[in-house]
Amino acid sequence: MTDFVTVYVAELTRRIKSRPFVIGLVIGAIGIFAFIQLPSLLGGAFSGNKQAIVVGDSALTTPAVPLLKGDFTIAATLAPTTVDIALLKAHHASSAVVLSRVGDRLHVAIYARDPGSVPRGEVRADLLPLQVQLAMHGSKSAVTSLLAIPVAIHPIDSKFSSSSQAQAVRGIAYTLIFFLYMLILLNSQLVMSAVAEEKTSRIAELLVASVDPIALLTGKIFAAATLALLQMAVWVGVGLVASVGAAGDAGASSIALGGLFSGNLLSAWVLSTFVVFFICGFLQLSTLFAGVASLVNRTEDLGSLSAPLVLPVVGAFFLAISALGDPDAPWVVAASFVPIFSPFVMFARIAVSNVPAWQVAISLALNVAALIGIGILGGKLYRVGMLLYGRAPKFSQIWSVIRS
Amino acid sequence: MLQVDRIAKDFGNVHAVRNVSFSIPRGSTFGLLGPNGAGKTTTMRMILGILTPDAGTISWSGERIDGKSRRRFGYLPEERGLYGKMKVREQIAYFARLHRLREPKLGPAVRGWMERLGLTEYADRPCAELSKGNQQKVQVACACVHEPEFLILDEPFSGLDPVNADTLLAVFNDMKRAGTTLVLSSHQMWQLESLCDRFCIIAGGVNRVEGSLAELRAAWPTRVLRVTPRSDRLAHILDALPNTQPVPGAQGTLEYVVRADTDYASILRSLVQADAVTGFEAVEPSLHEIYLHAIGEGAAA
Repeated sequence: MTDFVTVYVAELTRRIKSRPFVIGLVIGAIGIFAFIQLPSLLGGAFSGNKQAIVVGDSALTTPAVPLLKGDFTIAATLAPTTVDIALLKAHHASSAVVLSRVGDRLHVAIYARDPGSVPRGEVRADLLPLQVQLAMHGSKSAVTSLLAIPVAIHPIDSKFSSSSQAQAVRGIAYTLIFFLYMLILLNSQLVMSAVAEEKTSRIAELLVASVDPIALLTGKIFAAATLALLQMAVWVGVGLVASVGAAGDAGASSIALGGLFSGNLLSAWVLSTFVVFFICGFLQLSTLFAGVASLVNRTEDLGSLSAPLVLPVVGAFFLAISALGDPDAPWVVAASFVPIFSPFVMFARIAVSNVPAWQVAISLALNVAALIGIGILGGKLYRVGMLLYGRAPKFSQIWSVIRS
Repeated sequence: MLQVDRIAKDFGNVHAVRNVSFSIPRGSTFGLLGPNGAGKTTTMRMILGILTPDAGTISWSGERIDGKSRRRFGYLPEERGLYGKMKVREQIAYFARLHRLREPKLGPAVRGWMERLGLTEYADRPCAELSKGNQQKVQVACACVHEPEFLILDEPFSGLDPVNADTLLAVFNDMKRAGTTLVLSSHQMWQLESLCDRFCIIAGGVNRVEGSLAELRAAWPTRVLRVTPRSDRLAHILDALPNTQPVPGAQGTLEYVVRADTDYASILRSLVQADAVTGFEAVEPSLHEIYLHAIGEGAAA
């Protein structure tokens, strides 16, 4: 245990002061801050609720303004006039909705600085009650109630009370799965590089003569796991600060993005499974990577040797993404019990559906069992591989080491 | 005492070490010799517990070597390596900690070894910025900082200039005087000859000879008889002796290979009666000659 602590502290100290870690941490934090602050920084350019002026007779603009408020922020209502860029600038608007009447029909012309962003279909639907009112010469409220067909949605075995909440959570889960993927893969590769560095710099023999190789390996892996959790904590902290700031500055659009961090859409259960599955996935993969790295004699060989390990992780990532759309598909449920895949797929299922607790427990138990197996396998590879120099070992030699 | 008893190690079809045995008394200095690929490094790794012998036993002070005893060992492997970006002071301190050295002993030990090896001025520089010789001294400091009671040095002098080699030689002599048991492997025979009390020569994975230099010389079957001056009358007498073989000698001398149990007094009397003899010496074999002879036997076997 003392050896483990010595290696752990030394690795942690060495890596936390290393330039790549500091740069990665800072760039990641800046990226998250910018991602959350972007809408307010760009003045709502990406917002669906755009500034518009409504132009026309008051008989048309007065009933139209409440109908258009779902798609535009109405900056002003003007009597018929010529629309040009000066007018838009004068009202800080990006578009003008010009209403006129031709016979019994409503005529709508939209002048926009970015025509591609105009929600034509929504505008048509918004103004339909006004069109019907003009055609039937009826009262607005009668027409509106006639057109309003009540459609009730009743969730069955769903975590979400509304489709918009489900959509938001799927977006957040997607982001978290991406975080999971990046954190596991990047930090496992850091462990792999560190092992390869010790092997190729020939310090390995001095180390394994001084300390038990397994203590050396576990100390290194747990130090990397701690750094990854620290990285995650810093990024989440920055995200929280940014989302609070954005909520104050820029309104609803930023709050939606900030929801990822403010925790109002994801429960503590989901977030804690995120951490647990991260630890499982990271320990499994980094142990395998360390075992493989101990077999290389040149760092250039790392890519080709690690490819067979990276591919299942990439596959697991895509499986998890598709699991967000159909979390109860049989193949998704099956994959959520398979180690290496399950940290991604089971987390995706937990994020968007009600996974029975026994399934989570079995998945975790299988992950822990796999971790023990991978630990024994990786430890054997590491113990022997660190002293193997010269020609790259053949698969048969690796197999005999595993079997021994 | 370190007791190595009939150890063996195979790597697949390769018999790296076969039935090697030797003992090293506590406080002595032991030279482990052999050509490249003889099994020296594998033997050292088995002593250190890095590799497990397929057969045989190794004990230190009568007990099997485990993690606890290994922490009292030091090792300088043949293949050198350091963390390039780590500072010299931190590197030595890390290895001290791995050997369970803690404050308040740690700081003075690190400083002491840096001073001893002339590394103080480089204390805060990354190891990668040091010359090869200074990097090697850092590695020696890493191996010795915890004052091991048993120290294995695999080719400690390779790649060093004479000044640095002398510095290390002085350090090892100091450790020897302090009672550290040393095992050295080197191809620089003269350094081993001056440092080691006992030797073991391994070839082809088996030990060929083992003992002190005096014991190895005593077991050597021949001597070189060196006679001065080089004269025809002296040569005539030496040529007539049974079991002698003339060999090329230094200028002005006659040299003959004779049996070790030759009656030197009788030969000297015959030579003195024939001519004026100014030099008469039975030259004992050097470690280098014993080594070449031993590995030659190994090759023949």
